[in-house]
Amino acid sequence: MLHIKPIVVALKRHKAGTVLIALQIALTLAIVCNALFIIQQRIGRLSRPTGMVESNLLAIQNRWVGVDDNATGPLIKSDLQALRQLAGVEDAISTNSFPLRGGGWSMGVRHDPDAKKPVSSAAIYAVDDHALSTMGAKLIAGRNFRSDEIVWVEQKAYAASPQIIITKALSDKLYPNGSALGKTVYITDTARPSTVIGIVEHLQVPWSGTWSDSFSDCVVLVPTQLTGNFGSYLIRSKPGQLAAITATAPRLLIKNNRLRTFSRDRGVRTFETVRAQAYKSDRGIALLMGVVCAMLLAITAAGIVGLTSFWVGQRRRQIGVRRALGATRHDILGYFLTENLLIGIAGVVIGALLAIGINLWMVTQFEMARLSMTYVAAGVVALLLLGQGAVLAPALRASRVSPVEATRSV
Amino acid sequence: MLKMTHLSKVYRTEVVETYALRDFNIDVKEGEFVAVTGPSGSGKTTFLTIAGLLETFSGGEYHLDGIEVSNLNDNARSKIRNEKIGFIFQAFNLIPDLNVFDNIEVPLRYRGMKAAERKQRIMDSLERVGLASRAKHYPAELSGGQQQRVAIARALAGSPRLLLADEPTGNLDTQMARSVLELLEDIHREGATIVMVTHDPELAARAQRNVHIIDGQVVDLSEDPRFHTVHAEHTGTTA
Repeated sequence: MLHIKPIVVALKRHKAGTVLIALQIALTLAIVCNALFIIQQRIGRLSRPTGMVESNLLAIQNRWVGVDDNATGPLIKSDLQALRQLAGVEDAISTNSFPLRGGGWSMGVRHDPDAKKPVSSAAIYAVDDHALSTMGAKLIAGRNFRSDEIVWVEQKAYAASPQIIITKALSDKLYPNGSALGKTVYITDTARPSTVIGIVEHLQVPWSGTWSDSFSDCVVLVPTQLTGNFGSYLIRSKPGQLAAITATAPRLLIKNNRLRTFSRDRGVRTFETVRAQAYKSDRGIALLMGVVCAMLLAITAAGIVGLTSFWVGQRRRQIGVRRALGATRHDILGYFLTENLLIGIAGVVIGALLAIGINLWMVTQFEMARLSMTYVAAGVVALLLLGQGAVLAPALRASRVSPVEATRSV
Repeated sequence: MLKMTHLSKVYRTEVVETYALRDFNIDVKEGEFVAVTGPSGSGKTTFLTIAGLLETFSGGEYHLDGIEVSNLNDNARSKIRNEKIGFIFQAFNLIPDLNVFDNIEVPLRYRGMKAAERKQRIMDSLERVGLASRAKHYPAELSGGQQQRVAIARALAGSPRLLLADEPTGNLDTQMARSVLELLEDIHREGATIVMVTHDPELAARAQRNVHIIDGQVVDLSEDPRFHTVHAEHTGTTA
């Protein structure tokens, strides 16, 4: 049987401890809700698809050494020819960037070259007609580039291409009520129009950070091969051949031309490694926040156990008197559980408001997503259960106080 | 009302058994006012705690209001304590976090009594002890005598069959002790059964009957040579 009124009255006489525990619960709820929400978002990012056949992809970041920027074109052509003929290779491309590479170009895409603001930002992948087959990107409308459309230019001289292939996400942004296929758009602020000749189902931008979230699936493929002393090869192996080409492809390139270096950590990477490196900080943050949450919950539980144990010790005689006056063990257990529940409810009400407030602040300051109420509701239930779990041991101890305690001398 | 037959209470450790009560026999009739006296360590308090079902006993029989209590479980014992017994402790044992009203309400809440009836009983019992105006006061705001009166009101509010008092005036000065004793006598005159443990001979003399405990047993004062020694010493000091 609940005796809420006398418990509330008694709690009012112990304001300091009560308020401290309620605030601790409130802060824990506010922080844990937001932290778990961020963790969930980070974990969600880890598993975002790139739109490519990742399991068969090898990325090689190549830096030419002692070769003039303008002279790299024939070398790249030679590399591509060799790579495409290598045993176990399905296809290969040279590109300035690819999904999750970490660095690349982003440009504004406009309907009107004079528009102040672009409709969207997009990542630019300078590729050739082998890009779709190498990446495994699915063409859902239009056509692929033809080999005669591929132009070779020095990086600094890049100008908007007359033909482009874009992702469906960018198409939907540019033309929400129809398809972008056949339409003319403007990349950056040049007056050179680009016609959308194809739409691919999905490709991700090179960046994994939150800053690119607003255009994370907006990609433009341009039929351009960039010359320069720095570029990447993306190589798609035949099924089951990835390990083999991971060993043979770099050797082949070195054999083809020794005037190059591959960096130690980003030189030769399977896409599994690319993904792991791209999301290293997300995983780290998720882990850190998880540890912080666990520690906060443990500290809160310890605080509840500590305070209740202290109260049980302090009120031992009082418990004995209650037992002498007719309280059953169940009544005493119920007293402490109810007392904790009341403190917990006060804590979670404040905590829920605080959680929403902190999230709103982060939404305005860091463009974070709005906190789902499911997290708040789950946090409230979890904190109340944690409180009841933490108070159980001292409450059981209290219920075992003998009524004869009432007759003990002070 | 209260009948103990060949009752014993043994405290056991690994090496020694200590009898707090041994072959203890007592029969308190309904409406009696019995004072239980004896020297320190004689077993008075042990008797009271067993009589009040605060503690179990090791052997013998104990009938309280016709119920054999030895085999009752903890819940049943709690229920009897709540409904049939009123306690008055030497240290008052009021709950400091609750005001007078809420203190008296504690046993009534455990009985599951409706709020209106609880309020009526609390105010009646406060009237009875002359503290109706102090219902909202906290124990710390009352004198010792007033606190003991609140404790008596708490004991009376549940209309118990038996009132057990453990040195009810032990923590009070003479004047307060006298007024509390007069209150107990009034309550007895109204028909209550009272068993009072005390080592104060003056207080015991006000009871209807005295039961003397020595070494855990009830003794006949006229036949026990130990009593004559104690009595002689007492007489000597007061003479």
